[in-house]
Amino acid sequence: MSRDETLSEKSTAVGLAPYEDARALVRLIQCTQCSRPLRQPVTLPCGNAVCRACLPDFHERANISYPDVPARRRGVMCPFPDCGREHPASDCGVDVILSKALDSIAGIMAEHTMSASMITTIMEEIRLDDTEALDADSEKPKINKRPWSRLVATYDIAAKGQLPYECDINYIHSTSTSDTGRAMDAAVLQEILDSMHREVDCQICYNVLLDPVTTFCGHTLCRKCMARAVDHSLHCPMCRRSLAIPPVLSRHPSNCTLINLLNAMYPETMTSRAEAVATEETGGEGELNTPLFVCTLGFPHQPTLLRVFEPRYRLMIRRCLESNREFGMLMYNRYGEPQGDLGPVHFYHYGTMLYVTNAQPFPDGTSLVETQGAYRFRVKAHDVLDGYSIGSVERVEDVSLAEEERLEAEETALPPAEEGDVAGHIDRMSTQELLELGQDFVRRMQGRSAIWLRQRVLDIYGQPPDDAALFPYWFASVLPISDEEKYKLLPTRTVRERLKITASWIRRIESQRW
Amino acid sequence: MAAPLPKRIIKETERLQNEPVPGISALPHDDNARYFDVMVEGPGGSCYEGGVFNLELFLPDDYPMTAPKIRFLTRIYHPNIDRLGRICLDVLKNNWSPALQIRTILLSIQALLGAPNPEDPLNEAVAKQWKENQAEAIKTAREWTALYATAKK
Repeated sequence: MSRDETLSEKSTAVGLAPYEDARALVRLIQCTQCSRPLRQPVTLPCGNAVCRACLPDFHERANISYPDVPARRRGVMCPFPDCGREHPASDCGVDVILSKALDSIAGIMAEHTMSASMITTIMEEIRLDDTEALDADSEKPKINKRPWSRLVATYDIAAKGQLPYECDINYIHSTSTSDTGRAMDAAVLQEILDSMHREVDCQICYNVLLDPVTTFCGHTLCRKCMARAVDHSLHCPMCRRSLAIPPVLSRHPSNCTLINLLNAMYPETMTSRAEAVATEETGGEGELNTPLFVCTLGFPHQPTLLRVFEPRYRLMIRRCLESNREFGMLMYNRYGEPQGDLGPVHFYHYGTMLYVTNAQPFPDGTSLVETQGAYRFRVKAHDVLDGYSIGSVERVEDVSLAEEERLEAEETALPPAEEGDVAGHIDRMSTQELLELGQDFVRRMQGRSAIWLRQRVLDIYGQPPDDAALFPYWFASVLPISDEEKYKLLPTRTVRERLKITASWIRRIESQRW
Repeated sequence: MAAPLPKRIIKETERLQNEPVPGISALPHDDNARYFDVMVEGPGGSCYEGGVFNLELFLPDDYPMTAPKIRFLTRIYHPNIDRLGRICLDVLKNNWSPALQIRTILLSIQALLGAPNPEDPLNEAVAKQWKENQAEAIKTAREWTALYATAKK
């Protein structure tokens, strides 16, 4: 197999065949410690599972003073070499789902081993090539014989403790029965699949578990479902015990026993499930794929700092970070003004796409999200996904430079405005003059130490930009006037139009001052 | 165009139809799969026995992360249910868990009919009567059940 093939197979689950891969299938449920099928399995915080009885003895943990709860004072050393850490006793609950799944496998195997079948499987043990295991070479290979098909026979020797975890098996071929054996193994596996099916559904989404994570109390949910549950409550949805799970679940290891088992047994289901989730999270296959945050006003090229605490927006931001890191920011339509074709919706229909530059999660689950405005858009249609809005949006672009020039030439050529006609006067100013008017105003206000131009503000928004297209966004970000007024910049299609709006603000402020 | 109905809601609805709970039914509206007409029979041995109570149930956008919204439509004399049919039940509020479901919530409501709790009242007047003169309160509850919750048609 080439390296490329190995990589590409990672994204899709690869199933195991009941007859050909009987050894590998049985290994999936063998305890690495006692080599028998896992009994009362405990999935440790590192994601590995062992039988409860195979856990090393608990010992008093040294030098632990926080959080000082009785169940955390004792611990075990993880028996898995790739972990090797100390796990507190409280984190070693029996894995409920894995336990049930193994019980149903054991039940089916017990039925099949009640009586002998017409098939005999002869298994020769192959020890893995180990440089240190020189003694093993001198021993004669162990031969096991069972009156059942491969899968059942292999399970049985494992259950009897006659199949070390790392050993492979050489099945001694008997041509007369291989087809019957293959058919029997397929039937046994099907029986297992059918009986396990209901056990391995997530209790939140009712789909087969996808990237399962197991709580310290032994309950398992899809990683994404667990993350959503934690957004709402830091208690286990199943048993209500307080969850010692960090708000950032991404560092919590998956339940690897379940993942390997499900991928091997339900490869098609697992692959299509992963694909379906990706589609669902963006609001289906339609155009409604932009997450929308109805909260405040944002502007292109300007930073917007958000404190995210509502569960639905925590979910939205998390999905955002997993995809293109962008979401649409819309202002709340508090007066219920009609928004074009959408009518009096709860948001203003022009908004700014924000790009998440940094998201800092806090232990209480809230987070500080730093964003940068990318571009303006208009909402064409909207819906709700898991509590937050989603929409199909259209970019709002400025007209071409040629058109911009034509407009300027046309307006500046108008006959002079009458005395006192402020708007008329602004209309006739050149684009450069409009920009200078704004820049002059900012300089004058700085000279007077205006509060809204203090260093603290400039540290966030920077110095006024020289680019006439961007100046109004910066100006609106720092100027203390109402958001409804600033919103007027968002639907604009020309640089002139935006500068004329900022000029009208300046004239109004000046007229109030004297 | 609309965001598709989550698989969870589809499966719950199917299971409610295919494996119904005795004395409880919940049917979604044709035009709104998140809105259910609910029927709960008063539990045997309680003062609501023989009554058939209608409720409305709505699954909010972020269900199952938040509890279903549910309310009695049929008038009922009960210390934990107010005149508007609102229900005081912990699992509908702070003790909601996404591992609960429509079925378990309706069973909890049926159990609440079997065990009124005047110590945590929503309807003060009813709760007062329940504590001061339980026999009279139960009699009233029986009368109301006969009057408002007797199956029509």
